[in-house]
Amino acid sequence: MNSRSLLLSPNPNSLKSRFTEGLLRALLRINQHHHQQPRSSREIRKRHRLIKTAAYGSMASAVGNRKAWSRALLSKIRNQARSGAVLRRSLGSSTRLLSMKKRICHLQKGNSKKNRVEVGGSGQVDKLRRLVPGGQLMDTCSLLEETAHYMKCLTTQVQVMTRIVEIYNIP
Amino acid sequence: MDPTAATVPGSAVAGPEQEDPGLDTLQFREEIQRLMTVPPENASSFTALLELPPTQAMELLHLSPESEPAPAPAPAALSGEPLHKSCVHPFSSGLAFPTNAAQIERAAKFPIFGGERSPETGPVPSNSGANVEKVKSEPAESDSNPNSSQETKNNQRASLKRKDREKKVKVSTKKNKTEVKEDAEKIPYVHVRARRGQATDSHSLAERARREKINARMKLLQELVPGCNKISGTALVLDEIINHVQSLQRQVEFLSMRLATVDPRIDSNLDHLLATESLSLMQSNFSNMVPPLMWSEFPINGNRQQYQQQWHFDALHQPGWGREEDNHTFVTPEASLISCNSSANSASLHTGHVKTEL
Repeated sequence: MNSRSLLLSPNPNSLKSRFTEGLLRALLRINQHHHQQPRSSREIRKRHRLIKTAAYGSMASAVGNRKAWSRALLSKIRNQARSGAVLRRSLGSSTRLLSMKKRICHLQKGNSKKNRVEVGGSGQVDKLRRLVPGGQLMDTCSLLEETAHYMKCLTTQVQVMTRIVEIYNIP
Repeated sequence: MDPTAATVPGSAVAGPEQEDPGLDTLQFREEIQRLMTVPPENASSFTALLELPPTQAMELLHLSPESEPAPAPAPAALSGEPLHKSCVHPFSSGLAFPTNAAQIERAAKFPIFGGERSPETGPVPSNSGANVEKVKSEPAESDSNPNSSQETKNNQRASLKRKDREKKVKVSTKKNKTEVKEDAEKIPYVHVRARRGQATDSHSLAERARREKINARMKLLQELVPGCNKISGTALVLDEIINHVQSLQRQVEFLSMRLATVDPRIDSNLDHLLATESLSLMQSNFSNMVPPLMWSEFPINGNRQQYQQQWHFDALHQPGWGREEDNHTFVTPEASLISCNSSANSASLHTGHVKTEL
């Protein structure tokens, strides 16, 4: 009991608590909607995607608009949701078209934003750009700064999610 | 003052030669430069000396032999002193070589002079450098431009001799560079110290500043990534960083997969409990840090009943999350809830209330 409760007590306003709150709410929502036990791999994959989006989304919201990567991540999620929802409704079951359109949108976005790519260190900086959300938009200097913050947030995310999984597994 | 300054440091100094017969300042500078070659380990201290008019320089020269046994702290100590003295002395001392001071000012004014030469040339303990710059920027800013052309000629002529000098302590210069840059951002002129043998036009200066920024950020990243401190070289460090970020992202993916495959149990009230617990904890901690501490000490089971009733009442009538009365009542019943897993009914009731609040 104590270990559970001490998950968040230290600092209520910290990134960790904000993130945990958002994530737990999203998990609640997901569990409500998909209440049947996920048997098929397809369902599991869908839930997996949802949970992953929820994790990144709540992390980005916890960070807010202060960092470029969080803004980019939030806009990406919103675009995905928008395009996904619209297309899914209009096309119904033709999911292949759906995924193709999403891929095209993605590519277009990527091309238009590669204005400030610099060559540095045998493509490592480019790799970093691809990893960090919104990395294409920034110059190398701010990219490194964003990477540092992003790494910190990722570690928090992993910690919290590990705790949640532990809690799920106890009973 | 000139002869004394020349003789004090010792016999090793050749007589002051006159390269530029017309200028006392250059003559003085030559002497000081000769002085610098004598004790190499205190080189940085001597460059600090160059900044100051001879009166101060002499005092420091007297001091430097004492600090010689500890060359490492010497630069720090001496850089502390010039800092002091340059701050205090500026024009209060006025006196001995006002022309010196004025010329040094003008030379300092010239933004590009850094790489070439002049008394303050080359790597200098940044504290003194920056402070002297600040001090000098106050008066006569207008003097800079008209005299710049003249100064360049003087600078270039002496720069030939300047290049004979040994490079100063590298570590301190690196540190100095970043400090100088940071200080430079506060004052209107960008006085960047160029290292020996480096170009000093505005483009390369800007590039150098940019590179410094990038290197500083890389250092931060190195500290963040475990095990990156030992690696030297940007490429390898970047590789490590990329690997770390990738592994973290993979971990998130893996954990989300685990969360997806977990069974949404029927008594997933537990999850609700935890959700509400964390929510309430956070909300309550918003205004009060105290209750959480007290909460852990409460005899939870004993107080459960009365607090639950109170909580019902409050939940219905006071939707304000941030209020203190709410928090007091919220915290304890939640705690009691968590301690009793069997109270599924009450749990669902409470979660219902919590949801209305939300």
